[in-house]
Amino acid sequence: MTRKKAKPDWLRHWPRLLFLIPCLMILWVPSYNRIEPALGGVPFFYWYQLAWILIGAVIVFLVFMIETRITRTAKSPGDDMTGVPGDSP
Amino acid sequence: MKFDLTATIVFTGLFLLVTLLGFMAAHWRKGDLNQLHEWGLGGRRFGTIITWFLLGGDLYTAYTFIAVPALIFGMGAIGFFAVPYTILIYPILFIVFPRLWVIAKERGHVTAADYISDRFGNRLLALAFALTGIIATMPYIALQLVGMEVVIGALGFPAGGLVGHLPLIIAFTILAAFTYTSGLRAPALIAIVKDTLIFVTVFAALVIIPAKLGGYGAIFASVPQEKLLLAPPSGSSLGSYSAYATLALGSALALFLYPHAMTAILSASSGNVIKRNAALLAAYSFVLGLIALLGYMAIAAGVGDNPAYAAGFEQFGPNFAVPALFLDSFPSWFIGVAFAAIAIGALVPAAIMSIACANLFTRNLYKEFIRPNCSEADETRVAKITSLAVKAGAVVFILTLPQTYAIQLQLLGGIWIIQLLPSILLGLYTRGFNAIALLIGWAAGITIGTIMAAMQGFGSSIYPLEIFGVTLPGYAALYSVAVNVLIAFALSPILDYLSRRSAVSASRS
Repeated sequence: MTRKKAKPDWLRHWPRLLFLIPCLMILWVPSYNRIEPALGGVPFFYWYQLAWILIGAVIVFLVFMIETRITRTAKSPGDDMTGVPGDSP
Repeated sequence: MKFDLTATIVFTGLFLLVTLLGFMAAHWRKGDLNQLHEWGLGGRRFGTIITWFLLGGDLYTAYTFIAVPALIFGMGAIGFFAVPYTILIYPILFIVFPRLWVIAKERGHVTAADYISDRFGNRLLALAFALTGIIATMPYIALQLVGMEVVIGALGFPAGGLVGHLPLIIAFTILAAFTYTSGLRAPALIAIVKDTLIFVTVFAALVIIPAKLGGYGAIFASVPQEKLLLAPPSGSSLGSYSAYATLALGSALALFLYPHAMTAILSASSGNVIKRNAALLAAYSFVLGLIALLGYMAIAAGVGDNPAYAAGFEQFGPNFAVPALFLDSFPSWFIGVAFAAIAIGALVPAAIMSIACANLFTRNLYKEFIRPNCSEADETRVAKITSLAVKAGAVVFILTLPQTYAIQLQLLGGIWIIQLLPSILLGLYTRGFNAIALLIGWAAGITIGTIMAAMQGFGSSIYPLEIFGVTLPGYAALYSVAVNVLIAFALSPILDYLSRRSAVSASRS
């Protein structure tokens, strides 16, 4: 266990900054409280938020993939997720 | 409402099927059910798919399926806050809970209060955790009964009286029996059936109903203009904007603090199972968003003015909107399927919630304060009996008190449960924090949140906060937990300093 090699938390977890995108977009209510452009008769307010559910899921998946790759290449023993029995990457 | 025989037969058949599954679950992935982590956490062996069903069954309950469209039906756009709320929960699930899972697995924690007791070494703070969890969950279980009562009423069973309540009592007795024998394995297995039925129902509804009503354009066109969007800010008030955003954020922060959500998370087999679920659970969110729109379909179908459903609306209020819409749009046999989906959707969370309450009572009250050296088998027996008591309590609550009490208590429960957030986060992400400071913060948050709700007559959790002449209507849970955090941060260094000084002076004397 060499201490030097273990990356600091912020370096290993930088992809988590991507989570700010869906959170801020969906909390900024004035940006989507309108009818137009409607999609197939569904007002913007509704289809826009439903779309963010899917985009949000894609972002979570991306963060998971990137973090898994970072920990695999770094093989840092300090990671809180690996090394736990039954925890396959 | 007239009694629908075909629907009732399909409904009862599906109900018997899940009953059978519930009892068979005891033999599934067999473990020693006399150990609490086997009975109450399924042996911590659930993989990605089972955890997905379990968390889904947990978070998207019968009450959700009834109440979210009812809110849209009654109040319009503000009810759609359930969608941003579900978008916000996944990053929280991804970041915070795998970390907690690892520690809980290593140290053998079964409840959040176990973790707090271990992390801060303070019995009072752990007690506060256990009590908050149990008290916030009880009305939630009662509300699952409300969801069930609505569909049983919609099948045409006579309302009120012992005969009217009999189906509900039978259903809950069955639930209590298989939870007792099978533990968390029962809701995990039943959740698979429940979700299959829910998905089938929702997709059928989304194809059949808009076709009947002339498409989505026609549906939205029939909704009154003022309901379609949030009220924009006017004068010195932020109107519905701040209410919408804070409701979403506050509910998302509170969600995983509920004991039943914690139980489903801790029963996962690894931290990565939880991370994968943070992405996969979006499927439920999307369905929930579509279910919310059923509220508008109910408006477009005009069920509110249809004399055939007047009795139902009188008895159940807006909660009758979705059952009425289904009665209006589906053939009898499919009404049976749809209503079974909702009723079974009540069983799964009710089972997980009662197990979670039982775990809390046994680990953090019984073992901690009453019989510290009870055996593991003893511990599990107490948990099983507690799970029965919790459900009996919920049934008595719903049958003897007005429904509004359960709804108001559930509203307060959300405000109370979020007060656990600072202790969990500061425990996970800081080196040391003063337990007494956290306890005082908790007490202050609970008090202020309750007062805010009381000032609205317990009818709404939206509190019109005034800062510098601007009114910010927002979720009382979020405002009160902010006070909680500020107090914890302000007091922690002071109390740490005082306790160090008294330790020094004690060592000198």
